[in-house]
Amino acid sequence: MRLRNAALVAIVAVAVGWPFVVENRYITHIGVLMAISISTSVSLNMMLRIGQLSIAQAAFMGLGAYTSTLLVMRLGLPFLLAFPASGLLVAAFAAVIGPIFLRVKGVYFVLLTFALGEGIVLVFQEWVSLFGGNNGIHSIPKASLFGMTLVSPRSYYFLALALAAVTFLAAVGIFRSAVGAVLDSLNENEPLSQSLGVNPLSYRVAVFAVAGFFTGLAGSVYAHYTGFLSPDAFTFWSLVDMLVINVIGGIGSPLGPVLGAILLVPLPELLRDVRQYQMLSYGLLLLTAVLFLPSGIVGLLRKLQRRWLP
Amino acid sequence: MLALSLQIVLNGLTTGVVYVLMALGFTLIFGIMRVVNFAHGELYMAGAFAVTVLSGGLSWPHLPAILASVVLVGLLGAALQRLLFSRVIGNEFNCMILALAVSICLQSLALIVFGPDEIGAPRPVTGVVHLGPAVIPADRLFVGAVAIVLLVAFYLFLNKTRLGLMMRAVAQDPEMAALHGVRPNLIHTAAFAVGSMLAGAAGALMAPIYTVFPYMGELPMMKAFIVVVLGGLGSLPGAVIGGLMLGIVESAFATMLGSTVAALVAFAVVVAAIAVRPEGLMGRRA
Repeated sequence: MRLRNAALVAIVAVAVGWPFVVENRYITHIGVLMAISISTSVSLNMMLRIGQLSIAQAAFMGLGAYTSTLLVMRLGLPFLLAFPASGLLVAAFAAVIGPIFLRVKGVYFVLLTFALGEGIVLVFQEWVSLFGGNNGIHSIPKASLFGMTLVSPRSYYFLALALAAVTFLAAVGIFRSAVGAVLDSLNENEPLSQSLGVNPLSYRVAVFAVAGFFTGLAGSVYAHYTGFLSPDAFTFWSLVDMLVINVIGGIGSPLGPVLGAILLVPLPELLRDVRQYQMLSYGLLLLTAVLFLPSGIVGLLRKLQRRWLP
Repeated sequence: MLALSLQIVLNGLTTGVVYVLMALGFTLIFGIMRVVNFAHGELYMAGAFAVTVLSGGLSWPHLPAILASVVLVGLLGAALQRLLFSRVIGNEFNCMILALAVSICLQSLALIVFGPDEIGAPRPVTGVVHLGPAVIPADRLFVGAVAIVLLVAFYLFLNKTRLGLMMRAVAQDPEMAALHGVRPNLIHTAAFAVGSMLAGAAGALMAPIYTVFPYMGELPMMKAFIVVVLGGLGSLPGAVIGGLMLGIVESAFATMLGSTVAALVAFAVVVAAIAVRPEGLMGRRA
């Protein structure tokens, strides 16, 4: 246990400290993207843990991003209000559609959320007066918190890191709690849990809403950090990124998408000189993970741990 | 008004038959293996590139080029099933992820080999045909005619050949079929090959009409998905009716209200359809 605490302190120290050691804007930028990816991928992981792959998750991030942007730009709200509002709006949306959507399972849920995601992106593209269409929205104001405006990538890194940490802790907390035990029991034997008085639908809707909440917040950070929004950041292919991060990291625990994001987000940058092979390596990595590493990196680490640290 | 309706229906049918080709393959693969083939659009793309290379680069005559492309894509599908999908069959989630991986790999391979630019395939058929008051481009009519021949061939294959009957048996009840000596491996490979051939045929037929590029499969994949959800996942008659219906409805909406409204309506209908009747119009309850 002492080893574990020491490791935890070391991880926090590295996560908080590296931007002060490596003073490179570009590398910090990758760090921001990585932290945002951790929030969205861990949110997707919550859905995967209840056995429902939601393809609409990328569009949910877009909903959060556009909500925050429009609240700040059109209504003049401060970021401090727009930020939580973006999470709450997506959570409310998920809570409203959840009771209909989550009645279907497996492949049908995948296809249903696929259609929903495409539909939402289509609205972003076509409702030009509100969402700016395919040209997107430019010069989104920078986020300001308690009177100080966040400008540098480093300040956004800490905002995104805090969000990533809260998302991760929420995921761990939910699945370790009694609620998590009920959710796992629904995967194992739904009729049995029902016979004990559990209403499966309300539990699933709650997870859908929580996952939507954190995804919406991540969208808000993304919007104010990049200062530019366009619909193609929220299509099916962005969802594929989150999914690949989960599959390669391991979908069995929230640690999986964290490791997956740390490993995969910098990958396109490492392969910048061979751009055409970037996508191929991505595909091959995914293929290898599905065929040979079914529990991802986390599964591999657990196996190594069992062998070397009895 | 009559002329306009006839035109709308004809336009709808000529696009609809291509949707049917795509949707049939998609639904066949799902019905037999429970694989949601996200790579189906890339098989379409492979068919289009094959016909472009054969008839454009190597100047083969058009019909043999189409046939060869169909066979090539069928072999590609059989190889994918043998080498990759056979390892994860039975796990719906892993099958889906694997299909995504295959889709990404095929797209990027096309990008590496052919580059990102849109290229044109040779156009063997040109001009228009007058049918009563309606006018159809001759190349569209050609696509429609070949597609119908392929659909009839597919129907005969499923109903008159031993392999086709075995396939239907596996789709209906895999355990019972296995008890009667049908080997699942063989059927899976055959189904993947046939499904791929249908997608490859759609791509090969459409190549001269649209341009050919690595991402061209995404839109037809989306249409196939809409059709299949409407018709019922795994239902072959549902795919035929759904495909023709989507073609006609789209053509009507596009003529009267614009294609954006048509697309939004399609998504709304899909969401409503799954929420209300997940098994689709013609599907059976699981």
